[in-house]
Amino acid sequence: MNTLVAFLTMVIFPGGLFLLFVGMMYEWLDRKLVARFQNRIGPRWFQPIADNVKLLAKEEVLPEGVHPQLFYVLPVIALSGALTAALYVPMFGFEPATSFNGDLIATIYLLSLLTLSMGLAGANTLDRYSLVGATRTLTQLFSYEAPFLLALLGPALIAESWQIGEINDYARDHWFILTQPIGFVVALIGLMGKLELPPFDAPEAETEIVAGAMTEYSGRGLALFHLGKGVELVIGLSLVAAFYLGGLANPIDFVVKTVLLLGFLASVQALMTRLRIDQTVGLWWRYGALLVLTQYLVVIIVEGTIA
Amino acid sequence: MDINKTWQGVLDQVKTWARVNSPWAIHYNSGSCNGCDIEILATLTPRYDAERLGVKLEGSPRHADVLICTGPVTRQSRERLIRIYDQMPEPKFVIAVGACALSGGAFQGCYNIMGGIDEVIPVDVFVPGCPPRPEAIIDGVVKLLGQLQGGVSAEPVTLTEESVPAPQGVKPGLA
Repeated sequence: MNTLVAFLTMVIFPGGLFLLFVGMMYEWLDRKLVARFQNRIGPRWFQPIADNVKLLAKEEVLPEGVHPQLFYVLPVIALSGALTAALYVPMFGFEPATSFNGDLIATIYLLSLLTLSMGLAGANTLDRYSLVGATRTLTQLFSYEAPFLLALLGPALIAESWQIGEINDYARDHWFILTQPIGFVVALIGLMGKLELPPFDAPEAETEIVAGAMTEYSGRGLALFHLGKGVELVIGLSLVAAFYLGGLANPIDFVVKTVLLLGFLASVQALMTRLRIDQTVGLWWRYGALLVLTQYLVVIIVEGTIA
Repeated sequence: MDINKTWQGVLDQVKTWARVNSPWAIHYNSGSCNGCDIEILATLTPRYDAERLGVKLEGSPRHADVLICTGPVTRQSRERLIRIYDQMPEPKFVIAVGACALSGGAFQGCYNIMGGIDEVIPVDVFVPGCPPRPEAIIDGVVKLLGQLQGGVSAEPVTLTEESVPAPQGVKPGLA
């Protein structure tokens, strides 16, 4: 019986199929919102499903000069990392499927696996566009990761727990967006950097470097990376909503809060133009990290005075 | 055996549905005057919004399903056109846009021209016009998708030195 439950947890909810489907739906919503902001009609609701099925059914070209095993295995690692991270997150407002002390750190590193795999995938090929894309992907990884982590640790400090489930419970009657507004903004912008959404899409800038690290990927590999990104979008949104927007108590809560955040992300995407990679790094280290550290200082001082 | 056949049929239907609903395009100019290229870009603007049909312009040939070609094929761009075609994964389709892409158009008979796109790579849909309006280009895409839906399967074509005419007076492979 336990095995069956564990199996269902991994394959259906919240692990596998369900999360892939929700990821594709959120990707569609994002594209549709951006399209509406640009006065377009936008894609139909099944567009990401059709895209991914088509890519899965396409030929996968193995380019010359790549390490074949690495080429095939990297997309799988990326997607499995993102799916595993979902087990520790209060997906759809339910309790996390499993948790241990410190799973916040584990989740954040599982989410980084996608970016890391993309960087390695780009560096694996001989194509110059892939190499430039890989360099930019990894540069961006090093710039957003620290502020993003720090921004998520802010609520953890107050809740005195590094367990996502416990922080979520604590956040239900403490809206951290009011007490730590800087952390909220940094976490949200960090999520955009993580997903390489505009204005942080320098790593895959199609006007300069074709498709960045993904240039040589076709068919299945590309589909798995796409799916991974969709899954990461959902997990990232639910993490930020759980930490800063008063926790995720039930499915309605989940949908309302994450869709609100997605609307915000879509409007920023439609408003802003692409930042150069050096501007991205500067933004994160000069402003993002420093602002969050300042907020830490304030939080610790206030905590000390009260206690 | 029977179940296998049904399963295969359903799988094929799903594949065709996905292909019809998600044609990602790459655009290549093999010697056009840019008139057709501007019309193709106009097709992708919010006014015509090709994304509602699932059309997306991709930069990399590895991601694309449909190669949209404009212009006559000049001797210089012949090799590059073939290379781009070879880089695309199967199944792949080609749309030739504009009078020059169909036959060489205004450039027909020029010393530096191979002729239309179909002299060099197999073409699925021809869109006439000089330049064709965005409506005509969308119509071409829809015709291609209709062809796909009708079960006209695209057979893989391997280009060889023999099947592609070399420019006159130039040795194959050295052009």
